[in-house]
Amino acid sequence: MERLFGRPRPSDDEKRRIPPGQYLTGKWPVLHYGSVPRTDLSTWDFKVWGEVERPLDLSWDAFRELPHTAVHCDIHCVTKWTMLDADFEGVSVATILDLAIPKPTARFALAHCEQGYTANLPLDVLRDEDVLLADTYDHEPLEPEHGYPLRLLVPKRYFWKSAKWIRGLQILDHDAPGFWERYGYHNEGDPWKEERFSER
Amino acid sequence: MATTGDLAERAREEIRRLAEARGHPTDNARLALDRLDQAFAAGELQRTPRLDEAVGDLRLALLQDEGQPLGGKSAEASRFILRAIVRGLEEA
Repeated sequence: MERLFGRPRPSDDEKRRIPPGQYLTGKWPVLHYGSVPRTDLSTWDFKVWGEVERPLDLSWDAFRELPHTAVHCDIHCVTKWTMLDADFEGVSVATILDLAIPKPTARFALAHCEQGYTANLPLDVLRDEDVLLADTYDHEPLEPEHGYPLRLLVPKRYFWKSAKWIRGLQILDHDAPGFWERYGYHNEGDPWKEERFSER
Repeated sequence: MATTGDLAERAREEIRRLAEARGHPTDNARLALDRLDQAFAAGELQRTPRLDEAVGDLRLALLQDEGQPLGGKSAEASRFILRAIVRGLEEA
């Protein structure tokens, strides 16, 4: 990776991993609305509720005891930066869903986060093997501005779907738009199809 | 049914003007929210579920803890949500 005018210049191999309309960044930009929330792990919990047989309410310690897995991936933001070769660790969302046992009617999920942020995804997307509830980046706990203590990681979608400061998953039998999806962001957000904005 | 009359039309026009003014979107958003609150309190406009949701989301986007700057997406959220509020004024 060379640099060109302050931005990394991708090699030919890297170019093939950068979706249309994106540019390569070497640093991980910080993007969110509002302020960075302060977290007290002694009162923090993670809930799963809605269309599930066994609703969950996990403390931080209980979450940390779940089996962790590593994901090496590229991430793509709707604001057009792409960062290659990111290393996350966390608990597979499929593991969480297996614990909660979605009902046969369950098809979608709404991620609920601090400060009222939400993002919606189909359950079959959340079951992908590279989708995590991530608590580390580059082998260190997430930085506060990147979602400490926990964020969703959905590498195949634009990064607004990888909701920071996540506190729960509401499992639904219908799709319900999240925060950005209500105001003009695309419902699916596939970077390879440039699904940035909807017609709303 | 949407509110009618001169007061309602004036409130809509003022909120539209504040929402679409030049300047920083978060400043516009705070001013438009204040005027919308006034309009609801005075009965010039009526609440709708769509407006209530947008107003709630806009307040979230403007939440600012003491000593912290607003995140970079607050401005974009303000622009997007103000557009939704302006669209929703006709039903208010």
